[in-house]
Amino acid sequence: MRTYELMFVVDPRVADEDVVTMTQEYKNMIAAGGSQITGEENWGRRKLAYPINKLNEGKYVLLYIGSEGGKTALPEVEHRMRQNDKILRYLTVRTDEDLKRAARRQPAGGAAAPAAPQGASEEREAPPPAAQEEEA
Amino acid sequence: MARARKVFFRRRKVCKFCADKIDYIDYKDVKLLQQFIPERSKILPRRISGTCANHQRPLQQAIKRARHLALIPFTTD
Repeated sequence: MRTYELMFVVDPRVADEDVVTMTQEYKNMIAAGGSQITGEENWGRRKLAYPINKLNEGKYVLLYIGSEGGKTALPEVEHRMRQNDKILRYLTVRTDEDLKRAARRQPAGGAAAPAAPQGASEEREAPPPAAQEEEA
Repeated sequence: MARARKVFFRRRKVCKFCADKIDYIDYKDVKLLQQFIPERSKILPRRISGTCANHQRPLQQAIKRARHLALIPFTTD
């Protein structure tokens, strides 16, 4: 199975609820493309290391995606993100190969690797999960 | 002329990732990456940090990804 991480930075002036709706939209697109969302992290407002579009803060959202077989909706999602001027930055990374390589080097299990994204997400400041489900 | 021989005690440098058994260098781990970007925010060269080639490569990749997402700076002004 191929795994991906999709992280994007949203304009901080967008309300939290709208960020959730936006995220849901992208998640629906990914799901429609035949991939699963295996985890989600909402980092909330975070200071940017350098100003982007004269903004000093951004809202970070991170999606973990798993996909069976070659095709995913990711190119379309990226295309949409590029056109959305509320999205300051996005980055998709394919992680399965690197994680597998890391696991091989350390067969006892890579604790440092984000193998369990759900567990990690609880440490971060996440919006109440109930609110997300309502959007769905 | 007797040449003054200076004796250097050079601390042996060890690759942090080998020592700590970090195999997957995550671009989201800002705290870890920050150790490899000194004041000017440049990527610390191997010859200084002692990182082995096998780990410097993914480290470099991770730093560049983190920069793109504004998690760490390109430069300090």
